[in-house]
Amino acid sequence: MNFRDSSSWVFRALWMQRTRTLLTIVGFSIGIAAMVVLSALGEGLRVFVLNEFTQFGSHIIAVNPGKTETFGVGGLLNTTRPLSLNDATAISQLPNVEEVVPLVMGNAKVKHNQRARYTDVAGVGGAADKAWNLEIAQGRFLPADDLQRARALVVLGSKVKTELFGGVNPVGRFVRIGSERYRVIGVVAPKGEFLGTDLDDMVFIPAGKGMQLFNRQSLMEIDIFFNPRSTSEAMADKISQLLIERHGFEDFTLITQDQVLVTMDNILSILTFAGAGLGAISLLVGAVGITTILMITVTERTAEVGLLRALGGTTLTVRMLFLGEALVLGLIGGICGVLLVAFLLLLIYLFVPGLPVALSPTIVLGALGISMIIGLLAGSQPAASAAKMTPIDALRAE
Amino acid sequence: MIKLEAINKTYQVGGSPLRALRDVSLQIGSGEYLSVMGPSGSGKSTLLNMIGLLDRPDSGRYWFDQVATEELNEERRAHLRGENIGFIFQSFHLINRLSAFENVELPMMLAGQPLKQRRSAVADVLAMVGLSQRASHKPNQLSGGQLQRVAIARAIVMRPRLLLADEPTGNLDSKSGGEVIDVLEKLNQDGITLITVTHDQQLGDRARRHIRMVDGSIHSDQTTYENGHVNDHRKTQKSRDESI
Amino acid sequence: MRVSDQFSFNRQIFLRHKVRTGLLLLAVAIGVASVILLTSLGEGARGYVDREFSALGNRILIVLPGRKETTGGGPPIYGAAPRDLTLEDANALGRIPGVLAVAPIIAGTTTVAHSSRSREVITLGSSDKFFAVRQLEVGVGRILSPRSRSEPLAVCVLGIKVKRELFGNSRALGEWVRVGDRRMRVIGVLEERGESLGLDMRDMLLIPVRTAEQLFDSPSLYRILLDIAPSADSDKIQEKILKLIRSRHDGEEDVTVISQDSMLAAFDNILATLTMAIAAISSISLLVAGILIMNISLISVSQRRQEIGLLKAIGASSRQIKQLFIGESLLLISMGSALGIGFAFALITILAGLWPSFPLQPPNWAVPAALVVAFGTGLVFSIMPAKRAAALDPVLALRGLQ
Repeated sequence: MNFRDSSSWVFRALWMQRTRTLLTIVGFSIGIAAMVVLSALGEGLRVFVLNEFTQFGSHIIAVNPGKTETFGVGGLLNTTRPLSLNDATAISQLPNVEEVVPLVMGNAKVKHNQRARYTDVAGVGGAADKAWNLEIAQGRFLPADDLQRARALVVLGSKVKTELFGGVNPVGRFVRIGSERYRVIGVVAPKGEFLGTDLDDMVFIPAGKGMQLFNRQSLMEIDIFFNPRSTSEAMADKISQLLIERHGFEDFTLITQDQVLVTMDNILSILTFAGAGLGAISLLVGAVGITTILMITVTERTAEVGLLRALGGTTLTVRMLFLGEALVLGLIGGICGVLLVAFLLLLIYLFVPGLPVALSPTIVLGALGISMIIGLLAGSQPAASAAKMTPIDALRAE
Repeated sequence: MIKLEAINKTYQVGGSPLRALRDVSLQIGSGEYLSVMGPSGSGKSTLLNMIGLLDRPDSGRYWFDQVATEELNEERRAHLRGENIGFIFQSFHLINRLSAFENVELPMMLAGQPLKQRRSAVADVLAMVGLSQRASHKPNQLSGGQLQRVAIARAIVMRPRLLLADEPTGNLDSKSGGEVIDVLEKLNQDGITLITVTHDQQLGDRARRHIRMVDGSIHSDQTTYENGHVNDHRKTQKSRDESI
Repeated sequence: MRVSDQFSFNRQIFLRHKVRTGLLLLAVAIGVASVILLTSLGEGARGYVDREFSALGNRILIVLPGRKETTGGGPPIYGAAPRDLTLEDANALGRIPGVLAVAPIIAGTTTVAHSSRSREVITLGSSDKFFAVRQLEVGVGRILSPRSRSEPLAVCVLGIKVKRELFGNSRALGEWVRVGDRRMRVIGVLEERGESLGLDMRDMLLIPVRTAEQLFDSPSLYRILLDIAPSADSDKIQEKILKLIRSRHDGEEDVTVISQDSMLAAFDNILATLTMAIAAISSISLLVAGILIMNISLISVSQRRQEIGLLKAIGASSRQIKQLFIGESLLLISMGSALGIGFAFALITILAGLWPSFPLQPPNWAVPAALVVAFGTGLVFSIMPAKRAAALDPVLALRGLQ
């Protein structure tokens, strides 16, 4: 039987029983829609988090004091093997290194006249704004001073600035951090959150001053930004060698952006799979729907099956015709499901713009592909049932 | 054309077995016109189904055009059926969602023949049965007689050599029934072998050769000629067997 | 019609159409089972978190140096502030009425070595109280003594993993190890115990707080843990703590106090919401099952036209016909739900037997919720077919013409 005839046969058979075809399609499309939306949500979340991590570029290596055995949180704690400002300076002189940002963080009270605020204090280097994509709203960022000769200068985060200065321009004025006076030389434009940390509720001072302020002998982290001419591995090797020379041991941990992304990706893929899994349950029930209805149909059209065989139709032909009905149910269900999803996403976009959802062509094609495959699987039992009938049994059943 | 040798068929009805055909042997030549009659349960429909390759015997052999059909697989049998045999059923077995035209073209469609060829063939046979005007009508728009004629058109559209009719007039009034028989007999005159199974004595008498079945065996098998001579085929068969 | 008659009437119909009934039961069962199983995961996670928190001990307050003003943000985790939180502060806090025990913590990383083996480990400097507050026990030897509260003793307690890495199977008790640049004697090894909210106690070194002060050359405390009496008012004590710190820190309230209860409550909320969201999402499958019920009911009605006509002709009212069909659907749903519930609980029991630590705990509301949704959708979706059946004209139906 040629393709045109088969399709026409299948469509007419489905059209004859419009109501049941429609209901079956509705059920199946809900299943597909559920799966697509939930995978899209999971995928959207994954992309969102990954973007948060890669917003600073991909050629970054972070060095923390202490070895990996301590989960890399060594930076936050005291250590007997300090990472020093001199280390940072030395690293900055390696070839292919673009920026080096030393980091020490803590919490302190920042005061101006009568107003005061406890806020996060980041002791960094002069390149931090470039490295971390911080836009300057007023004034300028910390100068690229010699790391050892840290001056008492501070750049305010937008929230701190508003709280302490209101609408007044703070540049040139003084604030107290801890017990020392710092001169404000700039204000950072609002940046928002990064994984829970409010980047606007922060002030930036030179790393050297930070170490003094918090009475620390070691930096918490050194971030190294390198240019694309070198690979992560090559860069990591060079930095490693340098620090081993300087320290005598490998008492530090190196993490490349790639490693972070791989780990994150693995964890986040779980989200996408979880989403797909949840949706798959509804899809499964939708598939059971197709099987049920087709089984009923085959039973009802027993005489028709017998006739087809009597007129010369082979077992294969009969099987293909019923599989065709299943396939079409699946495919149309898939298309309706995707349309339903598009509609839902539109609603989400209108009412909750912030929600991260990603509907790529891959997902759409994947959804249609899966619909067809599941349709076929759902129809396999009914089709086999029909094919098994001998012409005589079928005709007799009338 | 058709040779049946010691065909046996047993069905399970309820819990007990029913022997529908017992050692049936039969030879039919090309172009013959036979009727198969007998009481209910005599096995005549079963015989028809065997000949039509719709069912397989439990034992015995069936040659169609010197081809041993029991050696063929299901697909080959379907092919043989489609090319050579046309069926006419008591309850028509037309598909309600298709028009007359589409019902008739069904065998050709199953064989994979292209649309153009189908169109002309269908138009021809519809003309032959006198229903060219009704080609686009659906079964629910046709009378009983017209339905059976559509079924006949479908049965002959592939130019089969053999036509099997199971109670063709069973659901029809006498006028329509007459029209249908006329069509069938005309086809026979054109060379198609025609076998009818029927209760109706009048219908059965119209055939040249009469087979009578009782309890699964052929009770009598006679051809009556115009000059009154009766040829008993079973006698001829017996002597043929004995002379070997 | 009596209920029992209705049952047997329906039963015959189900038996006549085994395949379609079976598949419909399957659809409902899948929906119900998935709601129960998935919410069990969520609830199990919540139970896990609850247990972990209560394993920490009774009522604990945590004091951290530094403060965040942004509401809703996390606590200051950096542990670094211009003014140190000192041992003296901790001792002062211990004198607040209602406070049962104080455990000051200095935290850092250092190398611990024995003969040729060495490791970098997280090191906590604290006192004997720490063991009580964190409910830690030694498998060998003893915990830090009360003297460790104020004296820089050269002793340490090893986590079980650290002991194995440095000593293998030989005895560690009484041996000397190098910690950073000094030597200390091993007086105890912690019992085997897994992670406790992120800190792997097997992979740790515990030394007296003053020793840590010297080792890391810094008197600033990382945290102070306070164990308060069950009868004490947590909020009042938190106020007192802030007041005390203010008075000791020149009027600066530069610390954050977290109570274990509020942390637990926060987690609880998140997980509870998540569980409910999962329940809602898996209920979508019951919606799909409902559509299937409607589909099959409609088919059933059209196939049983004559039967319905007959029933009406012999005196059944429209209402009774409706009830018959709706009753049929509800019966199917109950059977399917029972299957689903049975399967879900069987699976949970098996999994609990194989992996006792895996968190699977069906919430109390899971079964009722699943049933409500299943019956609700089933009811809604069988009303239309039932109405159609009830509206059949008996004469036409009997003649097969409708």
